[in-house]
Amino acid sequence: MPYSSRKKTRWYSDCESHGPGSRNRASSAVPLIELRDVSLRFINYADKQYSFKRAVLDLVLRRASPVPVSEFWALRNINLRINHGERVGIVGGNGAGKSTLLRLLARIYPPSSGTVEVRGNVAPLIEMGAGFNIELSGFDNILYNGAMLGFTRPQMLSKVEGIHEFTGLREFADLPLKYYSSGMYMRLAFAIATEIDPEILIIDEALGVGDAAFQERAKDRIFKLLGRSHAVILVSHDMNSLRQLCTRGLWLRQGQLVADGPIEPIIDQYLAWTHAAKAS
Amino acid sequence: MDVCTSSSTPQTETFPSAPAPGPPSLWRKRLLEDRVQLPRFWPVIHNLVSQELRVRYQRSVLGFFWTLLNPLLMMAILSWVFSVLFRGIANYPVYLFAGLVPWSFLSGSVNECALCIIANEALIRKIFVPKLVFPLARILINLVTLLLSMGSLFLLLWPLGARPSLPMILLPAAILLFVAFTLGLSLIVATANTFYRDCGHLVTVFFQAWYFATPILYRAEDFPAATQWRFRLNPAYYFIELFHDLVYFGKWPQFSSWLLAIVIALASLGIGYAIFKSQEDKMVFRL
Repeated sequence: MPYSSRKKTRWYSDCESHGPGSRNRASSAVPLIELRDVSLRFINYADKQYSFKRAVLDLVLRRASPVPVSEFWALRNINLRINHGERVGIVGGNGAGKSTLLRLLARIYPPSSGTVEVRGNVAPLIEMGAGFNIELSGFDNILYNGAMLGFTRPQMLSKVEGIHEFTGLREFADLPLKYYSSGMYMRLAFAIATEIDPEILIIDEALGVGDAAFQERAKDRIFKLLGRSHAVILVSHDMNSLRQLCTRGLWLRQGQLVADGPIEPIIDQYLAWTHAAKAS
Repeated sequence: MDVCTSSSTPQTETFPSAPAPGPPSLWRKRLLEDRVQLPRFWPVIHNLVSQELRVRYQRSVLGFFWTLLNPLLMMAILSWVFSVLFRGIANYPVYLFAGLVPWSFLSGSVNECALCIIANEALIRKIFVPKLVFPLARILINLVTLLLSMGSLFLLLWPLGARPSLPMILLPAAILLFVAFTLGLSLIVATANTFYRDCGHLVTVFFQAWYFATPILYRAEDFPAATQWRFRLNPAYYFIELFHDLVYFGKWPQFSSWLLAIVIALASLGIGYAIFKSQEDKMVFRL
């Protein structure tokens, strides 16, 4: 494939396709997510708030200019394709680059090199409270968060019922979000992210919150999404739920993709590796 | 089992040569993307604006009154102090109003936009939002203030000689150009302040100086003809003169003034957009 003609950095190629029709058209061999040689570098600036005053002084006094003191490769040479209907679990230790990879897919970070192509809309459940406004009521937040995810007011209004149905928070709909408990908050976020029927659902450890009954229903809902050929990408340290939910595993270590394959062997390898590391 | 290691991945060493897609296509791509993304994120802008206005106006019945009180007191003091100095200007409060209200839109927008990216750090680091949304929302909030205070102050100044005139139908065009000019400046300042956090202070001082260099408190014509050309170096001068012509003098501005205003507004918008978009991706790393 002639990838050399591709642009260096490319995110969504058709981000506006929400319709069910476009989804069927897209569900051929084209992968939903394609990462080619993606690396992401963070630069630790000595003084993160590098000031204009210092920039001018450095220039005038001919001092060494804004030297990036150290750089850190959060991701290195990641090659990845995710197709329709895949449930991908990402494992790896702390600081292995799991959340960074999710943020890259959610378009929050641009890649330092390589190409990222994400086809279809993404519902990211990466951090609590992303795209919510705690001053607004639960109902207003459904509309607000929907807008963040690219949905118009009428589109969201038609989904409000379903969201209430799932969260069971109908009676709190007029309450400002700041009075919600963290469990209620998470339920609302999860319900919106799944109700909008995204092509790609990204979840970072979110399933840990909420009671057992909710977790069961959340898993059900993810399976339902998958029935409509969506991709789910999950980061968790809970190996049991990964085994239950995912079909494919990715193991990240120090920003590199160590292993990619069916979930069971990957988790076994990963656990064996952690035990070995602990023993030595 | 396609268990692969990173070393076995196909090494495409072509990517250093790839990042030269040619500037025109890059910018066309950026413009096209904004044309798709900004309407999509319009509800977010709408929400940012309406929420700010609601906090400002809905919590108290007198909310709107308070926002008017500030410019009103300011104008009362200024016209009291300076009407002695500038005796030559008839209906001095109206003259002051015609220049001061647009100016406070400009300086308010630019100063707020300086902080708009940093203030929305929590959002930018958590979810994808086109960053153009934040300056646009600030500008719209200030635009609402501008329109409301223009309308109501005009009515309040009726006893002091404010009269509607036919040329005022061109006021929307003047405001539109002024908004474009302000947006361009705001985008430059927003970008600069995200990378150099002390730019905001500099902007405040700069605007203070610029305010006195622009004929708002005084008339440019009161200066010796030999030094008049200095005003022409000031891009804000052309816009303020448009407002003076339309609101204070009630006359049709010259065609050349319109042309210059259009050129300056478009140049400001173009430069601001180019600077902002070229740095947009890097902003998240500097928050």
